[in-house]
Amino acid sequence: MSQHTKEVFYGLYNDEEDLIHAIKEANAQHLDIMDVYTPFPVHGLDKVMHLEESRLHIAGFIFGSIGLLTAFGFMTWVFTRDWPIIFGGKPYWSVPAFIPITFELTVLFAAIGMVVSFYTVCGLGPGVSNPILDERITDDKFCIAFETTDADLGALQAFFKKTGAGEVHTKTI
Amino acid sequence: MEMMSGDHSFTMTGRERNVLFGFMGLGLLCIVLTLLGDDAVHSRFWSNYLINAVFFTGVSFIALFILAAFTTTYTGWYIVVKRIWEAYAQFLLVGLILMLVLIIGIWGHFHHLYHWADEAAVAADPVLSGKASFLNKYWYTFGTVIILGTWYFLFARPMRKMSLREDVEGQDADFSLYKKYKRYSAIFLPIGAFTSAALIWQWVMSVDAHWYSTMYAWYTTASWFVACLAITIMLVIYLKNRGVLPFVTTEHMHDLGKYLFAFSIFWTYLWFSQYMLIWYANVGEETTYFHTRINQYPVLFYGNLVLNFLVPFFILMRNDTKRKAGTLFFVALVVLLGRFLDFFQMVKPGVLHTTHEALAHHGEAAATEAAHHTSSFTAGFTVPGLLEIGTFLGFLAFFIFFVFKQLEKAPLLPKNDPYLAESLHHHVQ
Repeated sequence: MSQHTKEVFYGLYNDEEDLIHAIKEANAQHLDIMDVYTPFPVHGLDKVMHLEESRLHIAGFIFGSIGLLTAFGFMTWVFTRDWPIIFGGKPYWSVPAFIPITFELTVLFAAIGMVVSFYTVCGLGPGVSNPILDERITDDKFCIAFETTDADLGALQAFFKKTGAGEVHTKTI
Repeated sequence: MEMMSGDHSFTMTGRERNVLFGFMGLGLLCIVLTLLGDDAVHSRFWSNYLINAVFFTGVSFIALFILAAFTTTYTGWYIVVKRIWEAYAQFLLVGLILMLVLIIGIWGHFHHLYHWADEAAVAADPVLSGKASFLNKYWYTFGTVIILGTWYFLFARPMRKMSLREDVEGQDADFSLYKKYKRYSAIFLPIGAFTSAALIWQWVMSVDAHWYSTMYAWYTTASWFVACLAITIMLVIYLKNRGVLPFVTTEHMHDLGKYLFAFSIFWTYLWFSQYMLIWYANVGEETTYFHTRINQYPVLFYGNLVLNFLVPFFILMRNDTKRKAGTLFFVALVVLLGRFLDFFQMVKPGVLHTTHEALAHHGEAAATEAAHHTSSFTAGFTVPGLLEIGTFLGFLAFFIFFVFKQLEKAPLLPKNDPYLAESLHHHVQ
C-alpha cells in the first residue's frame, strides 16, 4: 500500500464541538473533506459527515447464522448419523443439550467474522503500514484532513482560520 | 410545590379518567362474572386475583429496584422518566393491601390456591409436611407484611419524598439530599434482591407445593422486569404523544428499547436454564412441572417463547426499530401480553390441581370426574378466557390510574437532580 502517497492538508481542533461546527461549515462551503480523526467516538459525527450506516452488523448477523447452522448441523450429524451414543437415557437428537453449544458458536462466528470483515474492509492487519497524521489525534486533538490535489489551498486556509483550528499542517503520507 | 406546578405538571384529562374507569368497570364486571360461574371453591376467581396482584406488585417492585440500581451505578439518562418509575414504586402500598386479601383468604380458608394451606393434606403428605416449616400461613403472613412493608415504608415512600424535596429545596453544596438518596438505594439493592426471592417462593412457586426450582425466583424477577419495561415504554410513548413529556427524546426511547430487548433475552436465558437443568437431571419430582405444561398447555408453553423471546428478539434486534415509537409500542404490547400469559401458565396448572383435590374432598361428583380429566379444555385454566383478559385489563387500568394520580402530585421533570443535564443531552448514536 505504500506506493500510494498523497499530500494532506489538515487542521487540528481542541474541542469536539468546534469540530462538528467546522464540518458543518465545510459542508456549507462544499469543501471535499478527505477524513476526520478523533481520539474517541464523537456523537453526531456520522450524521454531519453524511456517512453511510455501517453494514458490519449485517455481516455479523450472517456470520452468526452460519455459526448457528454449523453447530446445530454438526451436532445433529454426529449424534444421529456418524456416532450415535446414548447419554443419560436421552434421545440421540437431544435438542436442549445442543442449545448452549449452538449459542456459543453463534457468538464465536459472529465475533470473529466481524473482526475479520472489519480488518479486511479497512485494509488493516499485521504488517500493514498505517501512517498517522499527527500523534496527538490519539490523545486530545480533533483533526479535519483535506487532500491537496485539486484543492484551493487559500480557501482551505481561510476555512481553518474561520472555524478556529489551532494549527494547520501539510504532510505527505 | 405550588410554584413548581407551572412547568411540566401533569393533570389527568376527563377522557383519560373516563377510559380508565371504563376499563376498571370492565375488570370488576369480569370479576363478578367469574365469581358467578365459578366452582365451589372459587378457584378461577382467586387464581386470577393472585396472578394480577403478584404481577402489578412485582412491576412496582422492579420500578423501585431500577431506581435504586441506576442511582447506585451513577446512571444519568433515565432522569427524564424517573418520576414515572417513582410513581410505579408507590403502588407497593396497594400491592400490600392486595396481598393482605390473599392472607386473609388463607387464614379463613376462603380459597384453595395453596396445597400447603390445607392442614389435612399436609399431615398426610410427607413432602408437604417436610416443607411445612417454611410453607405455612405464619411465614406467608409474616414474610408478605414485613417484606412488602419494608419495601414501601422504608424505601419507596421516603425515596419519593426525598426526590420531591429536591425539587423544592434544590441541592446544597454537598449534594446531601442526593447522597442520602444514594445511600437508601445502595441499602435497598441487596435487601430487595434477597427478599423478593422469598416472596416469589411463597406467592407463586408454592402454588406447585411439591415442586421447586432454584431458578424460579430469578425467572419471575426477570418476568417482572420485562413487564415493567413494557408498561413503561407504552406509557412514555402515550404521554409523549400527549405532549407532557417534551424532554423525552428518541435517544431515551432507544435506551428503553434496548432494556426491553436485553431483559427479554435474559428472561429467555433463565427460562431455558430452568428447563434444561430439569430436563437433564430427569428427576420425576422436578420434570412433572414441565410434563404438565408441555402436554396439557402446549399453546401456552410454546406461545410463551414466541411472544416473549422471538418477537422482541427479532424485531428489536435492529437499530431503527428501537427508535420508532410505533414499532416499539407494538413490541411492548406483545410482550406485555406475553408476560401475562407467562404468569398465567406459572399459576394456573398448580391451582387447577389443588382445586381438583379440594373439590374431591367436597365430594362433588362433577369435581371428582373433573379430577380424572385434567387435560380437558377449560377456559380460564388451560387458556385465558375473556374473563381473564378483562380482569387483567381492569387491574392494568387501576394501576395506570394510580400512576397518573401520583404523577399529578409533582412536576414530571425532576429539575434539581444532579444528572438532569446529562439526561437532557443524552445521545446514544
